[in-house]
Amino acid sequence: MDKQTEFVLRTIEERDIRFVRLWFTDVLGTLKSVAVAPAELEGAFAEGLGFDGSAIEGFARVYESDMLAKPDPATFAVLPWRAESPGVARMFCDILMPDGSPSYADPRYVLKRALSRAADMGFTFYTHPEVEFYLLKNHPSEGAPEPIDNYGYFDNSPQSVGYDFRRQAITMLEAMGISVEFSHHEGGPGQQEIDLRYADALTTADNLMTFRTVVKEVALEQGVYATFMPKPFRDAPGSGMHTHVSLFEGDRNAFYEPGAPFQLSQVARSFIGGVLRHAPEITAVTNQWVNSYKRLAGGAEAPAMICWGHNNRSALVRVPMYKPAKGNSTRVEFRSLDSACNPYLAFAVILAAGLKGIEDGYDLPPGAEDDVWSLTPAERHAMGMEPLPGSLNQAIQAMERSELVAETLGEHVFDFFLRNKQAEWEEYRRQVNAWEIDRYLPTL
Amino acid sequence: MSEQRPSSVAGSLARRGFADPGEAARLLAEMGLPEPEAFADALTAAADPDQALRALHRLDSAGADIRAVASDEEWFAALVATVGMSDALADHLVRHPVSVDRLRGVPVRAPSATERRARLLAAVGADADAPAPTASVASSAADALRVAYRDELLTTVVRDLVHGARVDDIAEELADLADAALEAGLAIARAELPPDAAPCRLSVIAMGKCGGRELNYVSDVDVIFVAEPVEGGDEEAALRTAQRLAAGVMRVCGEPTSEGSLWQVDAALRPEGKQGALVRTLASHVGYYERWAKTWEFQALLKARPAAGDRALGEAYVDAVLPFVWSAADGADFVSDVQRMRQRVEDHIPPREADRQLKLGRGGLRDVEFSVQLLQLVHGRSDVMLRSPSTLVALEALATWGYVGREDGATLGAAYRFLRSFEHRIQLHELRRSHIVPEDEVALRRIGRSLGFRTDPVAELTEEWRRHAREVRRIHEKLFYRPLLQAVARLDPGDARLTPEAAGERLAALGYADPVGALRHLEALTSGVSRRAAIQRTLLPVLLGWFADGPNPDAALLGFRRMSDDLGSTPWYLRLLRDESLAAERMATILSSSGFATDLLLRSPDAVALLADDRELMPRSLDALIAEARAAVARHEDPDSAVSALRALRRRELFRIAACDVLGLIDDSTIMRGLTDVTEATLVGTLEVAERAVAAARPDGQLPTRMALVAMGRFGGRELGYSSDADLVFVHDPLPGADEQEASDAAFAIANDIRRLLMAPSPDPALEIDADLRPEGRQGPLVRSLESYRAYYDRWSAPWEAQALLRARPFAGDQGLRDAFARMIDPLRWPEGGISEADTREMRRLKARMESERLPRGADPSMHLKQGRGGLADVEWVAQLLQLRHAAEVPGLRTTATLEALDVAVDAGLLDASDAATLRASWLLATRVRNAIMLASGRASDSVPTSGPALVAVAHLLGYRPPADMLEEYRRTTRRARGVVERVFYG
Repeated sequence: MDKQTEFVLRTIEERDIRFVRLWFTDVLGTLKSVAVAPAELEGAFAEGLGFDGSAIEGFARVYESDMLAKPDPATFAVLPWRAESPGVARMFCDILMPDGSPSYADPRYVLKRALSRAADMGFTFYTHPEVEFYLLKNHPSEGAPEPIDNYGYFDNSPQSVGYDFRRQAITMLEAMGISVEFSHHEGGPGQQEIDLRYADALTTADNLMTFRTVVKEVALEQGVYATFMPKPFRDAPGSGMHTHVSLFEGDRNAFYEPGAPFQLSQVARSFIGGVLRHAPEITAVTNQWVNSYKRLAGGAEAPAMICWGHNNRSALVRVPMYKPAKGNSTRVEFRSLDSACNPYLAFAVILAAGLKGIEDGYDLPPGAEDDVWSLTPAERHAMGMEPLPGSLNQAIQAMERSELVAETLGEHVFDFFLRNKQAEWEEYRRQVNAWEIDRYLPTL
Repeated sequence: MSEQRPSSVAGSLARRGFADPGEAARLLAEMGLPEPEAFADALTAAADPDQALRALHRLDSAGADIRAVASDEEWFAALVATVGMSDALADHLVRHPVSVDRLRGVPVRAPSATERRARLLAAVGADADAPAPTASVASSAADALRVAYRDELLTTVVRDLVHGARVDDIAEELADLADAALEAGLAIARAELPPDAAPCRLSVIAMGKCGGRELNYVSDVDVIFVAEPVEGGDEEAALRTAQRLAAGVMRVCGEPTSEGSLWQVDAALRPEGKQGALVRTLASHVGYYERWAKTWEFQALLKARPAAGDRALGEAYVDAVLPFVWSAADGADFVSDVQRMRQRVEDHIPPREADRQLKLGRGGLRDVEFSVQLLQLVHGRSDVMLRSPSTLVALEALATWGYVGREDGATLGAAYRFLRSFEHRIQLHELRRSHIVPEDEVALRRIGRSLGFRTDPVAELTEEWRRHAREVRRIHEKLFYRPLLQAVARLDPGDARLTPEAAGERLAALGYADPVGALRHLEALTSGVSRRAAIQRTLLPVLLGWFADGPNPDAALLGFRRMSDDLGSTPWYLRLLRDESLAAERMATILSSSGFATDLLLRSPDAVALLADDRELMPRSLDALIAEARAAVARHEDPDSAVSALRALRRRELFRIAACDVLGLIDDSTIMRGLTDVTEATLVGTLEVAERAVAAARPDGQLPTRMALVAMGRFGGRELGYSSDADLVFVHDPLPGADEQEASDAAFAIANDIRRLLMAPSPDPALEIDADLRPEGRQGPLVRSLESYRAYYDRWSAPWEAQALLRARPFAGDQGLRDAFARMIDPLRWPEGGISEADTREMRRLKARMESERLPRGADPSMHLKQGRGGLADVEWVAQLLQLRHAAEVPGLRTTATLEALDVAVDAGLLDASDAATLRASWLLATRVRNAIMLASGRASDSVPTSGPALVAVAHLLGYRPPADMLEEYRRTTRRARGVVERVFYG
């Protein structure tokens, strides 16, 4: 038994934990949870806990439904929002086949495979997400969404629900060992942003799953409703998840090269080149909902064109202002991601696109220093800027042809994901929405 | 004169075996010895005379009285042997010339552990009789310890090199010496404690090789520290003191000083490893082992032994933890742990110097140590006699009590001793930890001579090493499998042997799912005094290992038993087994991985003889098969017995192909071709039998019609798999002047006879005839005349019928009729100008409809081999569409073979080369998986197995590890193919 496992078993005794929630994530990024009593945990560590995978989105078909959830002791944390004692704790699980080999359907394994490819090339992948979300006064069942306030970007909002909310959410996150770097009121009414400290991508993805749960829990406690829907209001900005990424070789930031243009090493330049070139095909994963594309169409902070800029907030990839003497903080910001993605899959495809750029020695296209939104379509075309897919449908079509995405997700997840998204699009196409009624009914 | 004398000395030195006589002569001269010749004579006993002389020269310069030593023959021999082997000890003597005295009158018996302890304690000024001896030599105690340790080592080396002590005894001595050094180190650590340190009881427990008293000259000394407060003392404060003492011992022994270091003290085997507390109380240790420890940690405890410090506490520790060792085998993970450990022994990735490794790698020391410990864990729970911490003692006990064969135990013991001696001599030279056989000739020569190989030291040493390594390499057979037979074969009643319970334990640990059944088979196979039983007793240990490598060892053992019951005393079978030949290994592989081939083999076990010879095993050519079929038909008058002979021929040929396939001897196209050929030959023969029978039943003894068989589908394409039916169309043509009805009746009788004869129950597998591809399918008549076909096609032919004809290949019966049939269908399947747009559209629609309708209910479309996405049908329809459109203009497309059509289409510029490669890969993979399903289980299925033993067995045959990789590759390959189909076929 390894150290971590022992630590977990011991802590459970010492802290009087009565239930342990085993968490895993389905292919669409929804958190799944099975509660076990501590007595069953040792068995789960050794052999995994059997469950019926056919009930989980994208895991298995009915006749191959036996799967095992094997907790990862390194992810053990006591849940702070349950009453103190007896306590409840959680761990993330790896999903295994009955023979004990990892399941290709497990998003966590998808990311682990991508990370191990990076490791083969000598890299560790770090991510630092800035998560945006809305706080609403009312529950979705109670009619049209109403934001909790009318404050704006960086507004100091003392005594407000949002302020208390952020304070408590951050306390809980820290209690679970998730470091928060920054938090503030975002641009939209009731919109919040909380930035997680940078960590390796697997930890960050686990943290994001925890984060979404914590935010929802705290909102409930405070009588409000939190949503990560990419674009809940037509006239207010959507909720993105700008993510800073970097590759390290050991302790050294592989993106940093002193004296190079923008201090960007060739590795960084090729990585960005890869992300840009493969952006269309990975978009269905980074922006997986019909609604995601409403955010991308909205302008402002959301990118819709495939280009990069130095300190350009309208580009898909931004290279933040370099801080002298902080070579290890060199990173690039990927801006199309939204808060409702499956972080395991999203990080995996971004990493794969970047690594492809490094492997094949892509170079960086010229940067875009203008506000992309101020350019005419003809100008953009002339500058070689292609748009991101404009709808889920376009994104699916780009992904279908992508060997890169198939390779990265694995055939099982690739196939399931496409079928699921095609079905979502088909259903959406049949909708008649309020805009159509308002627009056409009076005149047609 | 003075010029000449050294050169004549040099000549005699060369004769005495000095490698560099000039240098030797110079050194001798410099030393100004009275009798240099006699002196040099004594040096020839050294492992390396040159090295010995150089060392003596240095000693002389350092002030040692070499002349005095040389005057005492025994003393001189000891010195020469020591410095002739070990440069490190020569350095020690040069630094401390007075230590040369230690080599004088070294007794053959080693001093007791107590004496050793007393001497090393004295060296650091500690009182050996004190309850907690404390060093009084202040600043240079660690140096004093090192000097005293090496002085002690000198006498051990003399016993090793001069007195010829056994390696076991030397290893014990080295462990005793290590204990004494730990004790002295502890005394030094005590002296360094601050005056106000709380009192504590500390015991140093030796683990690993030191614990087993089988230590090397230089290796890490594994220890665990256990501490208790003195009576009534404070536990926390006592542990703080103990912690300082433990850290002190490790530092004193391991840290290099001006006198070097002894060895590293490694405390990593403690609870929680390097992260755990260095020192724990007894209760804390026990608590850990009660709750957290793993199988390998229990395995390590096997060797726990109090080495230094508080004796009573150490003994209490060992008494408390030893029972845990024997409870390990009760743990839930034990079987999987053992399998992993066994895998580790068998599969460890050899490091770069693999072939020069004494310790790791196949046939190394670790192999022996690990295997012995594994057997101790498996059987030691129920048998206390096996519980020795020493590898050699345990091996002896295993042999004495029947867990290992007596002779095998002795051979392995000898090999282990040799390898250990070899290792010792390697380390002795520089007193450095190493398990690598040096490549340098001088070093090898030195080691060889020291081990008594004097004629051709390097070659003899290498040969001896290889010989022992060979013995060790078969260790699993000897240790694990052979004793299983002794458990059941009641032959030598006097000898101890494995009990059935112990044998069951061991079989389960080796992966046999039903150990009781397995033992029953073993008993049946090996009991008795027949020659067969005797030979099987020899072979089974090897077979059991081979079986355990496959996915289904239980089935393999059962299969072997049935084979053996059948072939019993056939001399060639026994010879095949006795020689443990390639054939036997092949048989084991087939039995444990292919239900299909096993079944064929069991229907007629004599086919096992084919396995002995590659030329015999290769599938036969079509011509040879047809000749053989015709001969069989000619031999047998009676239709049933004639067809029996044909079906036996087919069975043997199927076995050839399946065996070659399982063993990886032939490629995919050879397999498909072979299966097609044997089907053709069988049908050619059966047609002749049926014609003969029907003719004989007629009054005139003549047939009124001529008959031909047309292969369709995969059969037509020469692409048969193990599970394919033979798609056939029957055609006849009445002879001129014959009565139409009579001719038709005769043709029907022949067709029906063929089906009946080939599908009748028999010990040989049936050949399923599928005639559904005939016009009008099952509604149409089974046989039509050529004219009837012509009339039908003139009236009805739809594009899909022309499509089916693409793979029509007349192959048996009347040659003229075959040609006429071909001439009739050629314009249909290769239409001039290709098929129309409307027909193309119709074909696409039909395919689209079939995709949804043909798939069995609930089947996963991505996993269906035939109708699934990117599967066989997808690829074949692409080829066939290209053929229908272009075969008239591109003659190469007029083929019945799918892959050939694709290749030709590429050459003709009709298909992109990379698209063709994608389609080919998918078609071949689907074909391969379909064949493997049949091969593994003997049952046909068109769905890729996605879990359980079925997946494991198929993936094993196709070489995928882990099995899920096969699914991933299948999904990927077929997805790509589907992309091509959507572009190229659907347009």
